[in-house]
Amino acid sequence: MTLQTTRRFALAMCGAALAMSIATPVLAQDAYPSKPVTLVVSYAAGGGTDAIARVFAARLEKALGGRVIVENRPGAAANIGTEVAAAADPDGYTLLIGNQGPMAVNPHIFKLKADPETALDPIAMIADASLVVVVGPRLEVNTLGELVEAAKSRELVYGSAGNASASHLGALLLGQTAGIKVKHVPYKGAGPAVNDLVGGHIDFMVTTIPSAIGLIESGTLKALAVTGEKRFDSLPDVPTAIEAGVSGYTASAWYGLVGPKGMPAEVKSKLEAATSETLGDAEFVEKLKKDGAVPSSMGPQAFSDFMAKERARWGGVVKAADIKVE
Amino acid sequence: MLDVFINLGLGLAVALTFKNIALCFIGCLIGTLVGVLPGVGPVATIAILLPVTLSLDPTGSLIMLAGIYYGAQYGGSTTAILVNIPGEATAVVTAIDGHKMAQNGQAGLALGLAAIGSFVAGTVATIVIAALGVPMTRMGLLFGPAEYFSLMIMGLVFAVVLAHGSLVKAIAMILLGVLLSCVGADMETGRERMTFDFGMLHDGIEFVVLAMGIFGFGEIFKNLADPESRDVVRSRIGRLWPTLKELRENTAPILRGTFLGSILGVLPGNGAILGPFASYAVEKRLSKRPQDFGHGAPAGVAGPESANNAGAQTSFIPLLTLGLPPNAVMALMVGAMMIQGIVPGPQVIERNPELFWGLVASMWIGNLMLVIINLPLIGLWVKLLRVPYRLLFPAIVCFCCIGLYSIANDAAQVMMAAFFGLVGYALYKLEFEPAPLALGFVLGRLLEEKLRQALIISDGSPLTFLQSPLSAALLAIGVLALVVAVLPAMRRGRDDVFKEA
Repeated sequence: MTLQTTRRFALAMCGAALAMSIATPVLAQDAYPSKPVTLVVSYAAGGGTDAIARVFAARLEKALGGRVIVENRPGAAANIGTEVAAAADPDGYTLLIGNQGPMAVNPHIFKLKADPETALDPIAMIADASLVVVVGPRLEVNTLGELVEAAKSRELVYGSAGNASASHLGALLLGQTAGIKVKHVPYKGAGPAVNDLVGGHIDFMVTTIPSAIGLIESGTLKALAVTGEKRFDSLPDVPTAIEAGVSGYTASAWYGLVGPKGMPAEVKSKLEAATSETLGDAEFVEKLKKDGAVPSSMGPQAFSDFMAKERARWGGVVKAADIKVE
Repeated sequence: MLDVFINLGLGLAVALTFKNIALCFIGCLIGTLVGVLPGVGPVATIAILLPVTLSLDPTGSLIMLAGIYYGAQYGGSTTAILVNIPGEATAVVTAIDGHKMAQNGQAGLALGLAAIGSFVAGTVATIVIAALGVPMTRMGLLFGPAEYFSLMIMGLVFAVVLAHGSLVKAIAMILLGVLLSCVGADMETGRERMTFDFGMLHDGIEFVVLAMGIFGFGEIFKNLADPESRDVVRSRIGRLWPTLKELRENTAPILRGTFLGSILGVLPGNGAILGPFASYAVEKRLSKRPQDFGHGAPAGVAGPESANNAGAQTSFIPLLTLGLPPNAVMALMVGAMMIQGIVPGPQVIERNPELFWGLVASMWIGNLMLVIINLPLIGLWVKLLRVPYRLLFPAIVCFCCIGLYSIANDAAQVMMAAFFGLVGYALYKLEFEPAPLALGFVLGRLLEEKLRQALIISDGSPLTFLQSPLSAALLAIGVLALVVAVLPAMRRGRDDVFKEA
């Protein structure tokens, strides 16, 4: 082990040296950022949110002119990340990817130690990811309308990536909007749920586009509708749910940049400007598309209003379905 | 069949370029290192290295990441055998007899058998992926929640033979493991169970935390409390290589382990972890000297190690044929493919044949490299046992803590493992076996998940487990196994049979 130890330490040292050489030299003491910025992600490395956060962090680094380090703090349905960011110094050196689940849904479901509305400060919206309604071999329908029809003769079973996940709430809202009864089967992550959809053990899913697009393109799963306001570039033939006849139904997983309450105004505006510069980068937009998302530009006020609206909307869905924990 | 060889030929042409061989070697080497280091697993390593692969071509990056995965499976066995710390669920079984062998002065033999078994399993599994990938995917899809649940039940019945002490104590440990697996938020309602308002328990107990505590830290407490037994181990090193006779004796266990591992690896929800447990149970049943199991039986290392490696490889099947990841590592591989602009799914094999077949062929090359990397290292590993314990144990503790912290960048995991270390020591003092506990913990999670999913789908009707022919057949096998186990017990007295058989 001693040999391995030295090797590993040597590797770590090389990594550290590399990191230092990349970091921009400090120009002035008060110029933000004068040290690396930590971007907290409330999910494990390798997931959808993490992928978007890492692509974003790499671009933000260029726009800010300083290091941005992604730190994964998964746990407790993404509430740990919220707590970590809320408890950090509001100096702009700890930021958080704020997304639909922990920002707009969890306050209605969990007893939170930090309420995102009061403990966090919205900086800018980053991206919006539509979901897609897919069916497998168990349910022989071709349109969303036929799915709604089928649900009237028997209760349909849908899988989700877990309790209170976007795929759970997206399907709940579909049921509520279309006025049909649907039954929830929670899985641990989208992967196993899509697996059972392909195997014909469940009827449908409202899942993220990356989790199903390969199977849609190969014809293994049928895409009935996307849940955003517009069609998605990579699935041009798939109508939106509204086009498919379920009026008023939209659901999306969105991602924004937030920080602890009380950040200096100039830091906030610098971050907002850097984010908006990032969203204009064609390569960034192309990378987002691969993760099933489109850029969505909103400043602090618009993002704050949007989050308040989303929070109220999902609160209604949660209440109607009675999935509150306490 | 001819197609398979043509395709494998294409794959070999891709995998045998200098660059891809180098990437495969780097992956296997990194994998072996992180596998050997207790607590640092392949998931964390691949997650960290994911951005690095951006600069490589898709095939090369997947070849390297795959190398890390099976390299880590392999390295993990080394740690399990030498210091009794299984970093992954699959290494728990290896630790049972492997560490006993090390204590008996047969560390070299155990490591050698693990290496040879893994290589044979890797070779067979590569051919299985190439020839049977598509039909095996279909088989995997047959396992819905109901069928999966019945498979687990069958597994639990077989698990009882894992114990080599008292039957009552073994069952108690399995149940304790199942109970521990229930800690955390309820999967359906989100309600907290047995979390005592500790935030860190919301997502349940991490397997690594439990294993590192009960096996790793527990073993250290044990050795510190009892310096004499530990010094005896260190003075007896023994032979490094298995003899031809030993190899012959272990051929059948290796092949059986490979078969079981290959099949179970395809199942969704990390079926690969079941392979080593199944193989151990089978070997103990078939052995002429079942009483050796738990005291250093070579077949108890060779079989499960082969199953482990075969399963690690066939778990690529659902990823490659459907784009569906059966475990956390495969989920990261999906991420790696997406970064490269390849949409994982059934179309990969047609659109990117060089990637598909290149990766498959590289697995065999990787297995060969693991043997080349590891056989010379066996001598080095065994010498490690000679390092004075006062130097060895702080190093182990230190690496364990780093690994535990890296799970969620959270010190709470380290504290939790320390707690389980005390539990592990208490279990040792009370003569309870920790392996059935680990199995109960692993199966318990899947068991609850699948039971509840099956019952939601069937509207609460338990008949669903009998209506599916596959599920009914699995349950029948379980019942049969139970009857076979209990019948002699009735004749000879219950406790006796499980001590010996």
